[in-house]
Amino acid sequence: MRSIDVHAHVTPQCYWRATEGGGEWHGLRREQGARGREVMISGSSRGQLPPRSSWTPEQRLADMDSLGVDVQVLSPYAGFYNYELPTATAKATSVDCNDEINQMTTTWPDRFASLGTLPMQDPAAAVAELERIMVQLKFKGAMIDDKINGKMLDEPEYLPFWKAAEQLGALILFHQGGDTVVASRIKKYHLPNSIGNLADRTLTFASLVFGGVMDACPDLKICFSHGGGYTCYGIGRMDRGWQGIPEADRLNPNPPSTYLRRFYYDSIVYTEEALRFLIDQVGVDRVVFGSDWPYDMAQDWPVSWIMEMESITQEEKDAILWKNLEGLLGI
Amino acid sequence: MRHIDVHTHLMPQCLWKTVDGGDDWYGMRLEAGDGLGFVAGNGKRIFINSPKLRFTPEERIVNMDEEGTDVQVVSIHTPLFPYHWEKGPAIQMSKDVNDEIAGMAKQHPSRFSGLATLPLQDVDASIEELERAVKVLGLKGAEFDMVVNGKTWDEPEFLPLFKAAESMGALLFFHPQPQENLVALERTRKYGLSNSIGVPLEDTILVATLIYGGILEKCPNLRVIVAHGGGPACFGMGRMDHAWKVRSEARVNIPKPPSRYQSQLYYDFLTSSEVSLRFLINAVGADHVVIGSDWPFVGWDPSPGGWLESLTSLSTEEKEKISFRNLEQMLGI
Repeated sequence: MRSIDVHAHVTPQCYWRATEGGGEWHGLRREQGARGREVMISGSSRGQLPPRSSWTPEQRLADMDSLGVDVQVLSPYAGFYNYELPTATAKATSVDCNDEINQMTTTWPDRFASLGTLPMQDPAAAVAELERIMVQLKFKGAMIDDKINGKMLDEPEYLPFWKAAEQLGALILFHQGGDTVVASRIKKYHLPNSIGNLADRTLTFASLVFGGVMDACPDLKICFSHGGGYTCYGIGRMDRGWQGIPEADRLNPNPPSTYLRRFYYDSIVYTEEALRFLIDQVGVDRVVFGSDWPYDMAQDWPVSWIMEMESITQEEKDAILWKNLEGLLGI
Repeated sequence: MRHIDVHTHLMPQCLWKTVDGGDDWYGMRLEAGDGLGFVAGNGKRIFINSPKLRFTPEERIVNMDEEGTDVQVVSIHTPLFPYHWEKGPAIQMSKDVNDEIAGMAKQHPSRFSGLATLPLQDVDASIEELERAVKVLGLKGAEFDMVVNGKTWDEPEFLPLFKAAESMGALLFFHPQPQENLVALERTRKYGLSNSIGVPLEDTILVATLIYGGILEKCPNLRVIVAHGGGPACFGMGRMDHAWKVRSEARVNIPKPPSRYQSQLYYDFLTSSEVSLRFLINAVGADHVVIGSDWPFVGWDPSPGGWLESLTSLSTEEKEKISFRNLEQMLGI
């Protein structure tokens, strides 16, 4: 039995080195916050960097051994999307992140696979970087945010990006960066994360489905982190909403629930009941193992968490922990 | 099987009589437009999207008979919430509406129960009106929005209101205002997503705010029903528990993980699928789920109670609790 983790982030060593002693990395900085915690600073935004985020690949591999994770599909730290910065800056940070991830994967090909980050504020630049990492660096795909400077991914300007991702066979992993939709209401109790991440993923599912992107790109491969948020639970209300749209105005010819199986969903849903529900709604072949390493919201002991579940069969556990991603990514 | 429906909207006859006569009702008047037109004023333009919003109590009863609903617990159509008005008119409008709803329940005691509207921008006035509504008029509680002029319910100024509701045994029914103040409004302008995603997101944030804000901890006997099954709160409760474990700011008001409080709340059954309703019941217990049909906005097949009775994954005992036993007990009807 193997385990392949689709949701594991990298804060590249080049950032840590450049910002040591107050230096800058493409204008981004680092400070020590309360109790010595490291804080990433980019313009007016600040991001908490957890202790493990500075670890070297060797330290990461030791932790993976302890957790029982054989392969991490690496993706950059979401704080480095940099969509709000000038395209040139985002291009440069994307190239740095992607090159370092590539170095990790080429050094330890049995332990790592690669997802890149892209300067999505400029769809043409995003396509160019996606082509570079897919064709030259043999990446598996890229991770992007649910919204690009307030825009959803069903905007027509992103259709060339979706077409390119489809044609390149890239897996696109959705993962929030910056404020989620909940933040403008309430910032307390960690709700922008604990509810906002799930809400953002649900909005992304809806925008891609209702916006006709999934029909325009039938071979597109998309994975939602955090189990797709509330998508599988709330799909009934989306179907009812779709029925209320006049037929002539619908961009998707079939009800939203029929698109559930077009996507992949990672397994970070925290309870066995929710994971069982997700499997039952989308099919076990669509659920993939994800841990959210190295953050505090990561699933604790993520491999054994799945292994010990009584309501999931061994065959289902194998599918989730490794078989689905083996097939999907050719790992 | 008896059917008691806690989620039914009402636009009061006192409004219709006034605006149909060409007059202002608290600054609102009838405007012609698509379909049945609009009731507009006070910064809002409420689309009359169902002819049933004009029904008299007697017409409602005919429709309830057709749908097999025995009792409707009525509350005002939420775009009429007066929280952003001047305090004086908001207080007076609340009294007018509460008097009318109380009149419906007095005239047809076996068919209607009522929930009050409160001028929530003024907590003291709201406590006073809730007392009058419950103790004098015989209403069962009140309907609340998810937010009051941008303020969430965990603000300390609202605690006396929750304490008062708890001591009166008043039922609080929480329901968002679709279109007006949804947190996801900017990102749900297309495809009807404000209703299909924006609304249940409000329900979920409300559940989280009542729990993490310590309101359920401080008011253990407070009786709350959340519309739309509480949104996907129960499905996402594991992540809320995890946040409580790893983030000190999530523990400031509650000594127990959020999931331990979710069965203090009640939820209507409007989950839009049998599998989601089954998940909700498994999470909170059949004792905490009630019929809520969103009358007159949802076309039920064949009817709210008929849908419930047709479900195969619920036992008869569970259906009876959801259909009438829980609300009989809570409302004393």
